[in-house]
Amino acid sequence: MTARELIAVEGVDKTYGSGAQAMTALEGVSFSVREGEFITLVGPSGCGKSTLLQILAGLVPASTGRVAIDGAPVTGPSPDKVGVMFQDAWLLPWKTAIENVEFPLALRKVKAAERRQRALPLLELVGLASFAERYPDELSGGMRQRVAIARCLVQEPRVLLMDEPFAALDEQTRTRMGNELLQIWEKSGGTVVFVTHGLTEAIYLADTVFVMGTRPGRIIERIAVPLPRPRTIDMIGSEAFGRLRNRIWHLIAEVRT
Amino acid sequence: MAGWVVRLSPLLFLAALAAVWEATSRSGLADPRLLPPFSDVVRVLAGLLQDERFRGDLAVTLSEIAVAFAIVGPLGLGVGFFLGESLPAYRMFAPALHLLLSIPKSIFLPVFIFAFGIGFLQKVIFAVTLAFFIVVLSGIAAARSVPAGFTTAARSFGATRLQIYLRIYLPAMEPLIIEGLRMGLIFTVTGVLLAEMYGAPRGIGRVIFAWGEMLRMRELFAGVLLVVVATIIGNEILRSIEEFRRARRRGLR
Repeated sequence: MTARELIAVEGVDKTYGSGAQAMTALEGVSFSVREGEFITLVGPSGCGKSTLLQILAGLVPASTGRVAIDGAPVTGPSPDKVGVMFQDAWLLPWKTAIENVEFPLALRKVKAAERRQRALPLLELVGLASFAERYPDELSGGMRQRVAIARCLVQEPRVLLMDEPFAALDEQTRTRMGNELLQIWEKSGGTVVFVTHGLTEAIYLADTVFVMGTRPGRIIERIAVPLPRPRTIDMIGSEAFGRLRNRIWHLIAEVRT
Repeated sequence: MAGWVVRLSPLLFLAALAAVWEATSRSGLADPRLLPPFSDVVRVLAGLLQDERFRGDLAVTLSEIAVAFAIVGPLGLGVGFFLGESLPAYRMFAPALHLLLSIPKSIFLPVFIFAFGIGFLQKVIFAVTLAFFIVVLSGIAAARSVPAGFTTAARSFGATRLQIYLRIYLPAMEPLIIEGLRMGLIFTVTGVLLAEMYGAPRGIGRVIFAWGEMLRMRELFAGVLLVVVATIIGNEILRSIEEFRRARRRGLR
């Protein structure tokens, strides 16, 4: 694996409000992600993991500190480098599945024929080619998130930032989506930052798990996952997996009290 | 099948109403001098529509409505959109807005006459005033109906502010915009007719009011019937646009 650093976060703080009402969401967050790495950010609600992701995405500015992707400081959204996914797919209900996948390209005024040419293979990749002309309200929750994945990939970003993208799905669908995401990731060789509050999901997907604590939100531990790739469902029952899971659980529980 | 019954039910209702009207008058249950039969009224209306003078009044009223609506639609939606988008502005103006909304505007008609006379301009200004607040409220509701997630997602794809307004807000708000315009049209028509009835040189409202004073019941009912039918048609047109767009956007068509 290349050791090249793709995402660098140094001393990031995030404070909302000012004076007596100031709320510190993040304090002293520093970490880096290598190119091609799959990292997960896991922590209890209120640990600022979503805020951190939004800062990486350039959607919210950091109060202090430095964030750089591929050497360039993040000052706003950079859709050519970074694709973002949320807990809700936020598909536009008046557009079909394929039109939704094409939407980021349409914003950049890519010609209709080229848009279709780039969007269709991605819908195929997520197994929804036959649903191209369907509207979002005709798709299940899992299908909508698949469309969102395709829409994320359409600009060929080098980094995928995912904010609990499967949290609203049932467990079976969530597991299946995780596996599909891993397959896509292994094929594309992109870099993924994945926020979750699910410990199993965090370990199962990641090369490295960053455990976050609350009040203020910060990274309390960086844990390398030694499980081989490709990951299989059986690994979740293994002793090594269980030990990791316990360790993270205790880290989070200790910080909480 | 059932869908068609529902669709036709307003027409069936109107047909039944006309039949009851006709029967009540013809049977002598109601005095035909006070309630002329429906068929007579329709005949009178047909005659009126041929009449040069009446058609002139109709044209005045319609152009007053058109001008007032063309002003209050964009104005009300624009102000509503601004208030819906800007929390400080909303906090500043919302109390005044709700205060003004609760006042019966028609009580100020004499003031409007002192200020603007009894001509075309006064009808337009009064109708705009009457309809403005309801359209503003629709505009606020429309702006607030757009989930923040759409905007955040679009920003992450690199959408500019203008693109977010044109390609996210506008289509997302469309049903509420059309609904707001529909309410605006109803209030505009009411405003124009009310102002005409109160005092005007020309216009349907003025003519209807005069017939009422002179107890010319057939003409009175003919005028009322015309206004009712025209309003229903205008309303239904906007409503079917709304329904058509809704069906299309949901992919049911």
